[in-house]
Amino acid sequence: MSTSPEPDVAASSTARRQWMAVLARTPRDALKAAFDAALEGASAPAYDWLRAPDIGLAMVRGRIGGTGDAFNVGEVTVTRATLRLKADEGSTSVGVAVHMGRDKERATLAALADALLQTPRYADRLQALLIEPLEARIAEERRRKEAEAASTRVEFFTMVRGE
Amino acid sequence: MAIDMTTLVPGFNDTVHDSQRVFRSLLDALSRPGSIVSIDAALPNNHALRDALAARVPLAAFASLIALTDYSTPVFMERDDPMLSDALRFHASAPVTRHRDEAAFVYIDNMDAMPPLDAFAQGDAETPEDAATLFIRVPSLSEGEPLVWRGPGIADQRSVAIAGIPRSFWCERAALVAQFPCGIDCYFVAGGSLVGLPRTTHVEVS
Repeated sequence: MSTSPEPDVAASSTARRQWMAVLARTPRDALKAAFDAALEGASAPAYDWLRAPDIGLAMVRGRIGGTGDAFNVGEVTVTRATLRLKADEGSTSVGVAVHMGRDKERATLAALADALLQTPRYADRLQALLIEPLEARIAEERRRKEAEAASTRVEFFTMVRGE
Repeated sequence: MAIDMTTLVPGFNDTVHDSQRVFRSLLDALSRPGSIVSIDAALPNNHALRDALAARVPLAAFASLIALTDYSTPVFMERDDPMLSDALRFHASAPVTRHRDEAAFVYIDNMDAMPPLDAFAQGDAETPEDAATLFIRVPSLSEGEPLVWRGPGIADQRSVAIAGIPRSFWCERAALVAQFPCGIDCYFVAGGSLVGLPRTTHVEVS
Protein backbone atom coordinates (compact mmCIF):
# COMPACT_ATOMS: atom_id res chain seq x y z
CA MET A 1 0.00 0.00 0.00
CA SER A 2 1.38 3.36 -0.95
CA THR A 3 -0.45 5.42 1.62
CA SER A 4 2.15 7.14 3.67
CA PRO A 5 3.48 10.52 2.55
CA GLU A 6 6.66 10.13 4.63
CA PRO A 7 9.85 9.71 2.63
CA ASP A 8 11.27 6.99 4.84
CA VAL A 9 8.93 4.19 3.89
CA ALA A 10 10.69 1.35 5.70
CA ALA A 11 10.85 3.14 9.05
CA SER A 12 7.28 4.41 8.82
CA SER A 13 5.93 0.97 7.98
CA THR A 14 7.69 -0.54 11.01
CA ALA A 15 6.19 2.15 13.21
CA ARG A 16 2.81 1.57 11.63
CA ARG A 17 3.05 -2.16 12.24
CA GLN A 18 3.78 -1.46 15.90
CA TRP A 19 0.83 0.82 16.48
CA MET A 20 -1.50 -1.48 14.56
CA ALA A 21 -0.45 -4.35 16.80
CA VAL A 22 -1.25 -2.21 19.84
CA LEU A 23 -4.63 -1.18 18.43
CA ALA A 24 -5.50 -4.77 17.58
CA ARG A 25 -4.90 -5.92 21.16
CA THR A 26 -6.83 -3.18 22.93
CA PRO A 27 -10.41 -3.67 24.12
CA ARG A 28 -12.97 -1.19 22.90
CA ASP A 29 -13.52 0.70 26.18
CA ALA A 30 -9.84 1.38 26.68
CA LEU A 31 -9.46 2.39 23.04
CA LYS A 32 -12.41 4.76 23.19
CA ALA A 33 -11.31 6.39 26.45
CA ALA A 34 -7.75 6.91 25.24
CA PHE A 35 -8.93 8.16 21.85
CA ASP A 36 -11.32 10.71 23.38
CA ALA A 37 -8.57 11.88 25.73
CA ALA A 38 -6.14 12.26 22.83
CA LEU A 39 -8.60 14.34 20.79
CA GLU A 40 -9.22 16.56 23.84
CA GLY A 41 -12.93 16.98 23.19
CA ALA A 42 -12.49 17.97 19.54
CA SER A 43 -14.79 16.08 17.21
CA ALA A 44 -13.27 13.26 15.21
CA PRO A 45 -12.13 14.27 11.70
CA ALA A 46 -14.37 13.48 8.75
CA TYR A 47 -13.68 10.40 6.67
CA ASP A 48 -15.09 8.23 3.85
CA TRP A 49 -15.54 4.52 4.13
CA LEU A 50 -13.56 2.56 1.59
CA ARG A 51 -14.79 -0.59 3.24
CA ALA A 52 -17.38 -0.16 5.96
CA PRO A 53 -16.78 -2.51 8.91
CA ASP A 54 -17.73 -6.05 7.99
CA ILE A 55 -17.46 -9.34 9.81
CA GLY A 56 -16.04 -12.51 8.34
CA LEU A 57 -14.19 -15.67 9.21
CA ALA A 58 -10.49 -16.41 9.04
CA MET A 59 -8.84 -19.79 9.44
CA VAL A 60 -6.15 -19.73 12.09
CA ARG A 61 -3.25 -22.08 11.47
CA GLY A 62 -0.55 -23.03 13.88
CA ARG A 63 1.93 -25.69 14.93
CA ILE A 64 2.55 -27.17 18.33
CA GLY A 65 5.79 -26.19 19.99
CA GLY A 66 7.01 -24.45 16.87
CA THR A 67 7.75 -27.73 15.10
CA GLY A 68 5.95 -30.00 12.67
CA ASP A 69 3.46 -29.13 9.98
CA ALA A 70 1.00 -26.32 10.43
CA PHE A 71 -2.57 -27.47 11.00
CA ASN A 72 -5.92 -25.66 11.06
CA VAL A 73 -6.57 -24.67 14.66
CA GLY A 74 -10.03 -23.30 13.91
CA GLU A 75 -11.92 -20.37 12.52
CA VAL A 76 -12.15 -17.02 14.25
CA THR A 77 -14.50 -14.16 13.54
CA VAL A 78 -12.65 -11.16 12.17
CA THR A 79 -13.85 -7.58 11.74
CA ARG A 80 -12.17 -5.39 9.18
CA ALA A 81 -12.60 -1.78 8.15
CA THR A 82 -10.84 0.65 5.82
CA LEU A 83 -11.43 4.38 5.77
CA ARG A 84 -9.87 7.42 4.16
CA LEU A 85 -9.69 10.86 5.75
CA LYS A 86 -11.32 13.64 3.77
CA ALA A 87 -8.86 15.88 1.98
CA ASP A 88 -9.74 18.97 4.04
CA GLU A 89 -8.18 17.32 7.07
CA GLY A 90 -4.84 18.06 5.44
CA SER A 91 -4.10 14.53 4.32
CA THR A 92 -5.91 11.73 2.57
CA SER A 93 -4.28 9.03 4.63
CA VAL A 94 -5.93 5.64 4.74
CA GLY A 95 -6.62 3.77 7.97
CA VAL A 96 -6.99 0.03 8.15
CA ALA A 97 -8.12 -2.20 11.01
CA VAL A 98 -8.40 -5.97 11.14
CA HIS A 99 -9.41 -7.41 14.50
CA MET A 100 -10.50 -10.64 16.04
CA GLY A 101 -14.09 -10.49 17.22
CA ARG A 102 -17.30 -8.87 16.04
CA ASP A 103 -16.94 -5.34 17.37
CA LYS A 104 -17.52 -2.92 14.50
CA GLU A 105 -17.19 0.18 16.65
CA ARG A 106 -13.81 -0.92 17.84
CA ALA A 107 -12.66 -1.55 14.25
CA THR A 108 -13.90 1.94 13.33
CA LEU A 109 -11.97 3.56 16.17
CA ALA A 110 -8.82 1.63 15.36
CA ALA A 111 -8.99 2.43 11.65
CA LEU A 112 -9.49 6.11 12.44
CA ALA A 113 -6.57 6.06 14.87
CA ASP A 114 -4.42 4.37 12.22
CA ALA A 115 -5.29 7.04 9.66
CA LEU A 116 -4.66 9.91 12.10
CA LEU A 117 -1.35 8.46 13.22
CA GLN A 118 -0.16 8.95 9.64
CA THR A 119 -1.00 12.66 9.58
CA PRO A 120 1.60 15.15 10.83
CA ARG A 121 -1.12 17.06 12.67
CA TYR A 122 -2.19 14.24 14.98
CA ALA A 123 0.72 11.81 14.91
CA ASP A 124 2.73 13.01 17.94
CA ARG A 125 -0.25 13.62 20.18
CA LEU A 126 -1.86 10.27 19.42
CA GLN A 127 1.44 8.47 19.76
CA ALA A 128 1.94 9.96 23.24
CA LEU A 129 -1.64 9.85 24.51
CA LEU A 130 -2.99 6.77 22.78
CA ILE A 131 -0.36 4.29 21.68
CA GLU A 132 2.18 4.62 24.50
CA PRO A 133 -0.27 4.18 27.42
CA LEU A 134 -1.97 1.28 25.65
CA GLU A 135 1.36 -0.31 24.85
CA ALA A 136 2.37 -0.02 28.51
CA ARG A 137 -0.93 -1.57 29.49
CA ILE A 138 -0.42 -4.54 27.18
CA ALA A 139 3.14 -5.02 28.45
CA GLU A 140 1.89 -4.85 32.05
CA GLU A 141 -0.80 -7.43 31.31
CA ARG A 142 1.77 -9.71 29.73
CA ARG A 143 4.09 -9.37 32.75
CA ARG A 144 1.21 -10.19 35.09
CA LYS A 145 0.34 -13.33 33.12
CA GLU A 146 3.96 -14.38 32.95
CA ALA A 147 4.32 -13.92 36.71
CA GLU A 148 1.17 -15.95 37.24
CA ALA A 149 2.47 -18.73 35.05
CA ALA A 150 5.95 -18.55 36.56
CA SER A 151 4.62 -19.31 40.06
CA THR A 152 3.41 -22.71 38.86
CA ARG A 153 6.60 -23.53 37.08
CA VAL A 154 8.14 -26.94 37.68
CA GLU A 155 11.88 -27.33 37.30
CA PHE A 156 13.06 -30.69 36.12
CA PHE A 157 16.58 -31.71 36.95
CA THR A 158 18.55 -34.89 37.29
CA MET A 159 20.47 -35.74 40.41
CA VAL A 160 23.84 -37.09 39.62
CA ARG A 161 24.93 -39.75 42.07
CA GLY A 162 28.28 -41.29 42.89
CA GLU A 163 30.74 -38.61 41.96
CA MET B 1 0.89 -4.43 -8.00
CA ALA B 2 -0.15 -2.32 -5.04
CA ILE B 3 -3.55 -0.69 -5.04
CA ASP B 4 -3.31 3.10 -4.90
CA MET B 5 -5.43 3.73 -1.83
CA THR B 6 -5.35 7.51 -2.15
CA THR B 7 -7.36 7.42 -5.38
CA LEU B 8 -9.48 4.36 -4.66
CA VAL B 9 -13.14 4.85 -5.57
CA PRO B 10 -15.57 4.03 -2.75
CA GLY B 11 -17.85 1.04 -3.38
CA PHE B 12 -21.53 0.63 -2.53
CA ASN B 13 -22.88 2.44 0.52
CA ASP B 14 -24.59 -0.72 1.66
CA THR B 15 -22.65 -3.59 0.15
CA VAL B 16 -25.14 -6.39 0.73
CA HIS B 17 -28.39 -4.70 -0.24
CA ASP B 18 -26.98 -2.58 -3.05
CA SER B 19 -25.35 -5.56 -4.73
CA GLN B 20 -28.58 -7.53 -4.37
CA ARG B 21 -30.48 -4.70 -6.04
CA VAL B 22 -27.95 -4.48 -8.87
CA PHE B 23 -28.08 -8.26 -9.31
CA ARG B 24 -31.86 -8.10 -9.56
CA SER B 25 -31.65 -5.37 -12.21
CA LEU B 26 -29.13 -7.41 -14.20
CA LEU B 27 -31.45 -10.44 -14.07
CA ASP B 28 -34.31 -8.26 -15.30
CA ALA B 29 -32.17 -6.95 -18.12
CA LEU B 30 -31.31 -10.44 -19.35
CA SER B 31 -34.82 -11.81 -18.94
CA ARG B 32 -36.33 -8.97 -20.99
CA PRO B 33 -33.75 -8.49 -23.73
CA GLY B 34 -33.72 -5.03 -25.25
CA SER B 35 -35.39 -3.21 -22.35
CA ILE B 36 -33.40 -0.35 -20.89
CA VAL B 37 -32.71 -1.02 -17.20
CA SER B 38 -31.50 1.75 -14.93
CA ILE B 39 -29.27 0.88 -12.02
CA ASP B 40 -28.75 4.39 -10.75
CA ALA B 41 -30.35 3.63 -7.40
CA ALA B 42 -27.52 1.46 -6.18
CA LEU B 43 -24.58 3.48 -7.38
CA PRO B 44 -21.94 4.61 -4.88
CA ASN B 45 -22.34 7.84 -3.03
CA ASN B 46 -21.74 11.17 -4.67
CA HIS B 47 -18.04 11.72 -4.47
CA ALA B 48 -15.31 13.55 -6.38
CA LEU B 49 -13.49 10.31 -7.18
CA ARG B 50 -16.68 8.69 -8.29
CA ASP B 51 -17.21 11.53 -10.75
CA ALA B 52 -13.65 11.04 -11.99
CA LEU B 53 -14.42 7.36 -12.53
CA ALA B 54 -17.73 8.13 -14.23
CA ALA B 55 -15.85 10.14 -16.85
CA ARG B 56 -13.97 6.97 -17.83
CA VAL B 57 -16.31 4.07 -17.05
CA PRO B 58 -20.14 4.10 -17.11
CA LEU B 59 -21.26 3.81 -13.51
CA ALA B 60 -23.72 1.07 -14.45
CA ALA B 61 -20.77 -1.06 -15.61
CA PHE B 62 -18.82 -0.27 -12.44
CA ALA B 63 -21.75 -1.14 -10.16
CA SER B 64 -22.48 -4.34 -12.11
CA LEU B 65 -18.89 -5.51 -12.00
CA ILE B 66 -18.45 -4.96 -8.27
CA ALA B 67 -21.80 -6.65 -7.63
CA LEU B 68 -21.11 -9.71 -9.80
CA THR B 69 -17.41 -10.43 -9.38
CA ASP B 70 -15.51 -12.12 -6.59
CA TYR B 71 -12.20 -13.91 -6.10
CA SER B 72 -13.25 -16.75 -8.42
CA THR B 73 -14.22 -14.64 -11.45
CA PRO B 74 -11.31 -13.22 -13.44
CA VAL B 75 -12.06 -9.92 -15.16
CA PHE B 76 -10.54 -8.85 -18.45
CA MET B 77 -10.39 -5.24 -19.60
CA GLU B 78 -9.78 -4.49 -23.24
CA ARG B 79 -8.10 -1.22 -22.24
CA ASP B 80 -6.32 -1.36 -18.93
CA ASP B 81 -7.83 1.17 -16.52
CA PRO B 82 -5.96 1.32 -13.19
CA MET B 83 -8.81 3.12 -11.45
CA LEU B 84 -11.34 0.45 -12.38
CA SER B 85 -9.04 -2.50 -11.81
CA ASP B 86 -7.94 -1.17 -8.39
CA ALA B 87 -11.57 -0.74 -7.37
CA LEU B 88 -12.47 -4.26 -8.54
CA ARG B 89 -9.52 -5.78 -6.76
CA PHE B 90 -10.26 -3.95 -3.54
CA HIS B 91 -14.05 -4.12 -3.32
CA ALA B 92 -14.70 -7.47 -4.97
CA SER B 93 -11.29 -9.19 -4.58
CA ALA B 94 -11.64 -10.00 -8.28
CA PRO B 95 -8.46 -11.01 -10.11
CA VAL B 96 -7.77 -8.89 -13.19
CA THR B 97 -6.49 -11.13 -15.96
CA ARG B 98 -4.56 -10.44 -19.16
CA HIS B 99 -5.94 -13.53 -20.91
CA ARG B 100 -9.18 -13.05 -22.78
CA ASP B 101 -10.12 -16.71 -22.80
CA GLU B 102 -9.98 -17.19 -19.03
CA ALA B 103 -12.12 -14.17 -18.12
CA ALA B 104 -15.56 -14.70 -16.58
CA PHE B 105 -16.41 -11.03 -17.05
CA VAL B 106 -15.09 -8.67 -19.69
CA TYR B 107 -15.27 -4.91 -19.85
CA ILE B 108 -14.95 -3.41 -23.32
CA ASP B 109 -14.37 0.29 -23.31
CA ASN B 110 -14.29 0.92 -27.03
CA MET B 111 -16.35 -1.08 -29.50
CA ASP B 112 -13.91 -0.25 -32.32
CA ALA B 113 -11.10 -2.10 -30.53
CA MET B 114 -13.29 -5.12 -29.89
CA PRO B 115 -11.55 -8.46 -30.44
CA PRO B 116 -13.46 -11.24 -32.26
CA LEU B 117 -16.17 -12.73 -30.05
CA ASP B 118 -14.71 -16.22 -30.23
CA ALA B 119 -11.63 -14.95 -28.34
CA PHE B 120 -13.73 -15.22 -25.17
CA ALA B 121 -14.82 -18.31 -23.26
CA GLN B 122 -18.03 -19.80 -24.70
CA GLY B 123 -18.48 -22.59 -22.14
CA ASP B 124 -18.87 -26.15 -23.33
CA ALA B 125 -21.82 -28.48 -23.66
CA GLU B 126 -21.61 -29.67 -20.06
CA THR B 127 -20.80 -26.30 -18.50
CA PRO B 128 -22.34 -23.56 -20.64
CA GLU B 129 -22.34 -21.34 -17.53
CA ASP B 130 -18.56 -20.96 -17.90
CA ALA B 131 -19.08 -18.58 -20.82
CA ALA B 132 -17.89 -15.00 -20.51
CA THR B 133 -20.27 -12.12 -19.85
CA LEU B 134 -19.39 -8.93 -21.71
CA PHE B 135 -20.03 -5.37 -20.58
CA ILE B 136 -19.73 -3.18 -23.64
CA ARG B 137 -19.68 0.57 -23.40
CA VAL B 138 -21.77 2.28 -26.08
CA PRO B 139 -22.53 5.98 -26.67
CA SER B 140 -26.30 5.51 -26.46
CA LEU B 141 -28.90 2.79 -25.90
CA SER B 142 -31.66 4.35 -27.98
CA GLU B 143 -30.19 6.53 -30.70
CA GLY B 144 -28.60 3.95 -32.99
CA GLU B 145 -29.88 2.13 -36.02
CA PRO B 146 -33.01 0.14 -34.98
CA LEU B 147 -32.67 -3.63 -35.29
CA VAL B 148 -35.29 -6.31 -34.70
CA TRP B 149 -34.67 -8.63 -31.73
CA ARG B 150 -36.59 -11.89 -31.24
CA GLY B 151 -36.35 -14.73 -28.80
CA PRO B 152 -37.18 -15.77 -25.22
CA GLY B 153 -38.30 -12.84 -23.08
CA ILE B 154 -39.61 -10.87 -26.07
CA ALA B 155 -43.33 -11.26 -26.77
CA ASP B 156 -43.17 -11.03 -30.54
CA GLN B 157 -40.40 -8.78 -31.65
CA ARG B 158 -38.76 -5.68 -30.34
CA SER B 159 -36.94 -2.88 -32.05
CA VAL B 160 -33.71 -1.97 -30.28
CA ALA B 161 -31.51 0.92 -31.37
CA ILE B 162 -28.14 0.64 -29.69
CA ALA B 163 -25.60 3.09 -31.11
CA GLY B 164 -22.03 2.42 -32.09
CA ILE B 165 -22.17 -1.33 -32.77
CA PRO B 166 -20.43 -2.34 -36.00
CA ARG B 167 -22.17 -4.75 -38.33
CA SER B 168 -19.35 -7.25 -37.96
CA PHE B 169 -20.29 -7.72 -34.30
CA TRP B 170 -23.83 -8.79 -35.16
CA CYS B 171 -22.54 -11.22 -37.80
CA GLU B 172 -20.03 -12.80 -35.40
CA ARG B 173 -22.73 -13.10 -32.80
CA ALA B 174 -25.18 -14.68 -35.24
CA ALA B 175 -22.55 -17.34 -35.95
CA LEU B 176 -22.35 -18.13 -32.23
CA VAL B 177 -26.11 -18.47 -31.76
CA ALA B 178 -25.96 -21.89 -33.44
CA GLN B 179 -23.75 -23.17 -30.63
CA PHE B 180 -26.48 -22.91 -27.98
CA PRO B 181 -26.33 -23.71 -25.03
CA CYS B 182 -22.83 -22.29 -25.36
CA GLY B 183 -22.51 -18.63 -26.26
CA ILE B 184 -21.85 -15.21 -24.87
CA ASP B 185 -24.15 -12.91 -22.91
CA CYS B 186 -23.68 -9.19 -23.38
CA TYR B 187 -24.72 -6.02 -21.64
CA PHE B 188 -24.56 -2.72 -23.50
CA VAL B 189 -23.86 0.04 -21.02
CA ALA B 190 -24.27 3.81 -21.27
CA GLY B 191 -24.08 6.01 -18.17
CA GLY B 192 -26.31 4.58 -15.44
CA SER B 193 -28.36 2.29 -17.71
CA LEU B 194 -27.86 -0.91 -19.60
CA VAL B 195 -29.52 -3.30 -22.05
CA GLY B 196 -29.12 -7.06 -21.78
CA LEU B 197 -28.52 -9.33 -24.77
CA PRO B 198 -28.57 -12.99 -23.73
CA ARG B 199 -27.15 -15.70 -25.96
CA THR B 200 -30.68 -16.87 -26.86
CA THR B 201 -31.76 -13.67 -28.62
CA HIS B 202 -31.79 -13.53 -32.41
CA VAL B 203 -30.92 -10.18 -33.91
CA GLU B 204 -32.00 -9.62 -37.48
CA VAL B 205 -29.38 -7.85 -39.52
CA SER B 206 -30.89 -6.68 -42.73
